[in-house]
Amino acid sequence: MGQISEQLPIVVESLNIGFLQTLKLFFVTLTGAFPLGLVIAFGSMSRFRPLSYLTKLIVWIIRGTPLMIQLLIIYYFPGLVLHNPIWGSGEAGRFLAASVSFIFNYACYFSEIYRGGIQSVPIGQEEAGLVLGMTKPQIFFKITLLQMIKRIVPPMSNEIITLVKDTSLARIIALQEIIWAGQAFMKGSHGISGAIWPLFFTAVYYLIFNGILTMLLGRLEKKLDYFR
Amino acid sequence: MIMPILEVEHICKSFHQTEVLKDITFSLEKGQAVSIIGSSGSGKTTLLRCLNFLETPDQGIIRVNSETLFDANDPSTRIESAIRKKRLHFGLVFQSFHLFPQYTALENTMLATELLAKERPDYKAKKKDIHEEIRAQAEALLAQMGLENRMDNYPHQLSGGQCQRVAIARALALKPDILCFDEPTSALDPELTGEVLRVIRNLADGNTTMVIVTHEMAFAKDVANHIIFMDNGVIVEQGEPSQIFGHPAEERTRQFLKGYMGTGHF
Repeated sequence: MGQISEQLPIVVESLNIGFLQTLKLFFVTLTGAFPLGLVIAFGSMSRFRPLSYLTKLIVWIIRGTPLMIQLLIIYYFPGLVLHNPIWGSGEAGRFLAASVSFIFNYACYFSEIYRGGIQSVPIGQEEAGLVLGMTKPQIFFKITLLQMIKRIVPPMSNEIITLVKDTSLARIIALQEIIWAGQAFMKGSHGISGAIWPLFFTAVYYLIFNGILTMLLGRLEKKLDYFR
Repeated sequence: MIMPILEVEHICKSFHQTEVLKDITFSLEKGQAVSIIGSSGSGKTTLLRCLNFLETPDQGIIRVNSETLFDANDPSTRIESAIRKKRLHFGLVFQSFHLFPQYTALENTMLATELLAKERPDYKAKKKDIHEEIRAQAEALLAQMGLENRMDNYPHQLSGGQCQRVAIARALALKPDILCFDEPTSALDPELTGEVLRVIRNLADGNTTMVIVTHEMAFAKDVANHIIFMDNGVIVEQGEPSQIFGHPAEERTRQFLKGYMGTGHF
């Protein structure tokens, strides 16, 4: 036990660094996937058939294959096949490749949630806007958007919480996120080896962070309760 | 001869193989109200939707104040970007209100006017004055609808009759030349229809030009200067209310009106 208390500060410091990388990937993914998902949703709803078919094909491929494969391909393909390692070297390059993979993957999932949300807003809302002389963008941003957001908060919450945990997949390309940091103490790092207890600590980080997110998303849902 | 404010000529509209409107022609003078009656599926709603550019007629012409807004044979009148401005000649009150749920009664009434004001060249300079003006106008309209105490309520906090009156205020805020009603009381509980009909009655007394699709025969007779009876996509008969309700010339009109006798609607 005494050994653990000596090792604890070292482990926590290392996990903190890993968790920072987890958080960075989480927020970068959301920032990119929220708007990109909307673009993809509009693409798949487009009345221009080739565009909607192409978008649906991309969504099918991205949702139909494991994110882990996408990570590996996006990270290694440019360097190994094209002999052009566009991501750059080191942790920064891995982070960039991971961000691109995550943003694309989550944008595809988000797009379907957006689409469902937009299509669940009654057509009468758009028609009311049209007869009042509003433009299509005005109708979307002033009328449809908030009604859509209200409807998609519960399914989005699911995706967001899943994303927190999915960020750990990035360790497949050796991104030094929190599980990579925790696992390092099993192999040996900072003079500690064969220790499995740091992994339990990583779980606590996830639990607490997801607890906070659940609370915030619940509040957002409540806040949108002012209309029906 | 007074120039009509609205002229509808030879409007035809089909959905797939079904002809919904067949050669519809009528006109309306400024300050007058026309009621369109007829059974469900006779094409009344489609006609209103054509006037508001929610549907595009296959044939025909729509003129407002002698300006041709739509001519099926003239592609230049069908340009999407110009249609938005043309819609502003008309207002439309829907059967099921379609209020924007996230906005209060007042915000519902102000929204479109505010967005339009942003297109004015002097908007930036006079932003505050314009906003105040729009707000005052919306408040006056809601007061006119008897909703002065409901301005800050959201649609779900209002009764159906109140919602419909907000919808009327919202349509009036844009000062349309012609206000259209699509069965404005059909979605309401019977005890709430009176308050909406009273409001429309007052508008008629104030010489608002209106096209009213309704199943309330007594109301149509009372409020309209002109009645159009439609059946199966054609105008069977049109004329003064006293003539249509008192001495219908067509057998089909008689049959239709007979259906309403003794139902309390007439």
